Amino acid sequence: MRWDLLGVVFKKEVVDSLRDRRTLAMVLFFPVFGPLVLAGTLTLVSREAREVDQKPVALPVVAAERAPNLMAFLNERGVEVKAAPADPAAAVRLGDADVVLEIPADHAEALRAGRPAPVKLYLDESRRTSHSAVARVKSLLEGYSRRIGVQRLVLRGVHPAAVTALAVEEVDLATPQSRAAMLLSMLPYFLIIALFTGGMSVAIDATAGERERQSLEGLLLHPVPRSAVVLGKLLATATFAGVALLETTVGFGFVPLLVPLETLGFSMRLDVSVLARILALMLPLLLLVSAFILLVASRARTFRAAQSSVSFMMLVPATPGIVLGLVPIKLKLWMLAIPAFGDQLLVNRLLRGEPVEPSQMALCMSSTLLWAALVTALTIRAFQDEKFLFGKA
Amino acid sequence: MIVLSDVKKRFGDVEALRGVSIAVADGQVTGLLGPNGAGKTTALRIVYGVMTPDSGTASVDGHDLATDRLAAQARLGVLAHAQGLYPRLTAREHVRYAGQLHGLRGPALEGRIGELAALLEMEEFLDRRADGFSQGQKLKVALARALVHDPRNVVLDEPTSGLDVAGTRAVRALLGKLRDEGRCVLFSTHVMQEVSAVCDRVVVIARGQVVADGTPEALKAATGKSTLEDAFVAAIGTEEGLG
Repeated sequence: MRWDLLGVVFKKEVVDSLRDRRTLAMVLFFPVFGPLVLAGTLTLVSREAREVDQKPVALPVVAAERAPNLMAFLNERGVEVKAAPADPAAAVRLGDADVVLEIPADHAEALRAGRPAPVKLYLDESRRTSHSAVARVKSLLEGYSRRIGVQRLVLRGVHPAAVTALAVEEVDLATPQSRAAMLLSMLPYFLIIALFTGGMSVAIDATAGERERQSLEGLLLHPVPRSAVVLGKLLATATFAGVALLETTVGFGFVPLLVPLETLGFSMRLDVSVLARILALMLPLLLLVSAFILLVASRARTFRAAQSSVSFMMLVPATPGIVLGLVPIKLKLWMLAIPAFGDQLLVNRLLRGEPVEPSQMALCMSSTLLWAALVTALTIRAFQDEKFLFGKA
Repeated sequence: MIVLSDVKKRFGDVEALRGVSIAVADGQVTGLLGPNGAGKTTALRIVYGVMTPDSGTASVDGHDLATDRLAAQARLGVLAHAQGLYPRLTAREHVRYAGQLHGLRGPALEGRIGELAALLEMEEFLDRRADGFSQGQKLKVALARALVHDPRNVVLDEPTSGLDVAGTRAVRALLGKLRDEGRCVLFSTHVMQEVSAVCDRVVVIARGQVVADGTPEALKAATGKSTLEDAFVAAIGTEEGLG
C-alpha cells in the first residue's frame, strides 16, 4: 500500500471539506441535536411525571350519594368527585372519561352487613393514556377496602398484620417512565445518525461530487493505486464521522447533568467508563458506515442523487432501534453479529447498567469490522471499473 | 514514446475503436484529428489509463498500461477530456495536489509550481480559489497540473476548446516549446488550423479507424488536395461532423 499517496488524498479531502460551510455545519451542529432532543424530551417527561403525581384526578361517580364515606376518603386524597355522564360505558369507550366509578344500589346495605360491598369501575385497558388514572383509582379503592377491613379486624380483636401475608413494595413503571425508557432505547440510533450525518457530505463530495464536477478523471489519471484513492477518501469520511460521533457521545454524557433523571425513577448509566465502552463499540461501526456511505454515494450520478440515497440508507439501521423501543428483545448471540443491530443492543445494555461480557463486545466488533472490510473492497472495485468512472454503471 | 497497437474498444453496440495503431515519436507534436465521435477521446483515455481496451495494447515509454499502469502514468502529463476543478481549492493547491500524487514533495515541488506559474502566467490568480475561474484560467491550472512532474510524454485532449485567440496562441506556443524540449506530444483536435499551425505529424481518425497518417504536406499530397481541410474531408470520406 502506498501510504504516502493515501495520505495525500486524505489531506486534500479534509482540507477541501473543512472549507465547505455546509459540511462544517452538518458536522458541528447536527450531532449535538441528538443529546439536545433527549435532554429536552426527558425534561418535559419528568415535569409531566411530577404533575401527574400531584394533579387531582377528576373521577365521575354514578350515584355518589350511596357511599358518602368513600367519597370523603377519595376527596381527602386529591380526587375530585364529579357527576357521572348518562352512559358511563360509552363515555369511557369514547375516551371522554378515563375511568368511571359506579356505586350499585346494594352497596350501603352490603357494607353495613359486613359483606363485600360492590363497586363498579368502567375502564378501557387498551387505552394507554388512561392507565395512570385507572391505576390510581384502583389503588385508592383498595386502600379504602383495606382500611375498613382493618377496622373490622380490630373490632374483632385480631391484629391487622395477621392478614398481611405479603409486604408488597411497588415500583411504579407507569407511562412517563416507560416513555423515558423508550427514548433511552432510541439513544444508540442517535449515535448511528451522527456517523451518517458526519460522514455524508465528505463522502458524497469525494465520489458523486467528483464525478459531477468532472474532476474524477483528472484524479484517476495519476499514478496512484485505486485502493489508495479509496482508502484516503474513506479515512477522510471516517474522520468527520468520528468527530460527529465524539460530539454526540460527549453530549449524551452531559444529559444526566442537565436533567433530573431521579424524578423519572430510573437512572441512566452515562458515566465516563460507559461512554468509553460505547465509543470503543462504535469504532468498527464508524468504519463500516463510512465505507457504506462511500459505496452508496459512488453509485450515484449526482450530488443530489447521492444525498437522497444516503439519507434513505440512514433509515436501515433505525429499524432495530424502533423495534427495541416497542418490543423487549432477549439478547441472543447471533444478533450481535448483525452490524448496527448488535451495536444498538449492546449500547442499550451498557446504558441500562446491565452486564456486557467482553466476548460479546468482541464478537460484535469483529463482525462489524469484517463487514467494513467487505464494503471497502466493493468500493475499491467500483473505482477500478471504468463504467463507474464514466457514469455508465 | 506512446504506442497504441491494434486497440479495439466497444461501448454496447457502438464500436468506438476498431483496431487503432499509432506510434507517437519523441520530439514531435502529433495531432489526432477527427470529427466528433471519431474515437479521439477514447483513444487518449486508453493512453492515460482511465479506460482499458477490449483488445490490443497501449504503452508509454515501453510500459504497458494493462500490466504496468502506474509506471506508464508516471511518465505522462495529461490534459484530460474532463477538466473539472475543486472550487474550494486554490490554483496553487491544485498543482500541488497533482505534484504530490506524482510523488513530488517539499521545496522541489514548490519550486516547480513557481516555475509553471511564471511560464503559464498564473501568478495573479495562483492563490485564489478555483470557484469563478475563467475558461482560460481553468485551462492554465489544468496545464500546470499536467506538467508539474516534468513528464517526457504529454497528452492533451482538445487543449484549445473554449479559448480566445490569445489563449489559443499561447497553447500552441507551449506545444511547440514542449516539442523543442524533446518531449513526445500527442493532442487531439477537430480544428484544422491548429494542425497546420503546430503539428509535425497528423493522424486522421474517423469511425474508430486511422484513415491517414503523415506530415500535413504528405497528407495533402496523398489526397491530391491543395488545402488541409480538403485533404481531411477526402481522407475521412465525408463532411459530416466537421467543426
